[in-house]
Amino acid sequence: MSALLEVKNLCVNAEDKQILNGLSLSINPGEIHVIVGPNGAGKSTLSNVICGDPRYQVTSGSITFKGEDLLKQNVDERARNGIFLSFQSPVEIPGISMSTLMKYALNSHRKAKGLPELDAVSFSKLIRECAKKFEITNEMLKRPVNVGFSGGEKKRLESFQMAVLEPSFCILDEMDSGMDVDAVKIAANGVNLMRSPERSFLIISHNNDFLYEQIKPDVVHVLVSGNIVETSDASLLIDIKNNGFSRFLNKGMN
Amino acid sequence: MIELVEKQSSIKLLEGEQRIIVENSLAKSTSVEVMPNSSLVHYRLNKGNDNKLSVKVHENASYKLITLQIGNGTLDIDVSLEGAKAYCQSDIAYALNKEDKMTIVSNFVHNANETTSNQLIKGVASGNSYATFEGKILIPYDKKKVEGNQQHRALLLSKSATVKAVPALEIYADDVKCSHGSAIGNLNQEQIYYLQTRGISKEEAYKILTSAFLREVTDGIDAEDLRTSFEKEIAECLLLNV
Ligand SMILES: Nc1ncnc2c1ncn2[C@@H]1O[C@H](COP(=O)(O)OP(=O)(O)O)[C@@H](O)[C@H]1O
Ligand SMILES: [Mg+2]
Repeated sequence: MSALLEVKNLCVNAEDKQILNGLSLSINPGEIHVIVGPNGAGKSTLSNVICGDPRYQVTSGSITFKGEDLLKQNVDERARNGIFLSFQSPVEIPGISMSTLMKYALNSHRKAKGLPELDAVSFSKLIRECAKKFEITNEMLKRPVNVGFSGGEKKRLESFQMAVLEPSFCILDEMDSGMDVDAVKIAANGVNLMRSPERSFLIISHNNDFLYEQIKPDVVHVLVSGNIVETSDASLLIDIKNNGFSRFLNKGMN
Repeated sequence: MIELVEKQSSIKLLEGEQRIIVENSLAKSTSVEVMPNSSLVHYRLNKGNDNKLSVKVHENASYKLITLQIGNGTLDIDVSLEGAKAYCQSDIAYALNKEDKMTIVSNFVHNANETTSNQLIKGVASGNSYATFEGKILIPYDKKKVEGNQQHRALLLSKSATVKAVPALEIYADDVKCSHGSAIGNLNQEQIYYLQTRGISKEEAYKILTSAFLREVTDGIDAEDLRTSFEKEIAECLLLNV
């Protein structure tokens, strides 16, 4: 089986500071990978670099997605090729509503596939179905993107966008932080509904119970100081829950 | 509400509520007087024209202005709040492109107690255009419980576009609440990135964010046809829908 996403020896800088130091990662279609690690390890940086965030410079290494050189593609091309990021802190965009954003986004995806714009009836049907999965109300869709929402609501709106755009690779950066127990269940349920043999996930979270019990990942990585220092199956989550990161910490230093 | 068209250059509202819509003001000068206890909503488009708008708001009266300024021209607004509890809200959107030169001079005078004025001025400058905004709020020494707010925000879409803002507060009274601010900047890179991660091209993200910026003003128009036509004028001026 050829990998959906292949990251090799990736080195990344931001503002002349090295954040990722030769990181490698391979994710097959249908797999759920989890990345855990202390704050500041580089988890969000990795997520954003996969999306092409211009704040980061890739100084060496490669990222291949669906067999193509991802680093040659700009941010929106990557998204249209199937990469989606649920942001740790989604930015506020006053003046445009979530449903308008989704209309633009969906039509950009469709145009790239050579499909016509979705008619108004099919669009609102699709939006309603996806909104229901994440308990998003009509009123929330009419409000400006991410303005005035609670942390948990913002994360649910990120998941909602994921459901609308049906990506083949979903990165969830601390999707469950800021959520109460019920909201975490909604989010986990949404992920499980979207699971398919063609779709892969990279999930970043500090909530080991949520990951272990509700997501049941295939692979777990520990990221420390810009590198993956351990890769194992889901049982690693229980080990970390009981013993913390301390035994990995000196491994990351080089 | 009654809708009128500003044909004459003088509007006097004696009583009740009225809404005046001006598709394109061609008058060189317009004077408006809102008599006690009445309220007037005034929407106007000023395109490539010099215009002076003089407004008097009397006791307990309210005047709400939303105006769109497109292209070359000077807009001179004088508002005087003449009676106690007079209220004025003035929202201006401007859009400039190419070699456009535009000046807005606003002059608000609080001549009575318990008067309030709120101004929001939002503009987008593209091409080699040049915009100047001069906004003055004057509160004489013996006035009480007066509130005056003025916010100017501008978006520069090209390196050769210029926006200059000269706010001036002349406050001689103590019992006042006043705020003013001006911010001139570029499109927010984090917002562009977010839209791109949803599959939207950079060019389209620029357009979406630019119209969103002026929508804070145009959204205040509660006549859908007019709001759509204002948004169209903006899009045409800034080449947002090629
Ligand atoms: N845009 C940036 N500019 C400068 N430093 C950054 C930037 N993004 C991240 N960093 C730094 O890189 C390190 C990793 O950050 P991040 O990827 O957000 O960590 P994590 O998500 O694992 O908590 C931190 O030290 C952070 O301050
Ligand atoms: Mg992070």
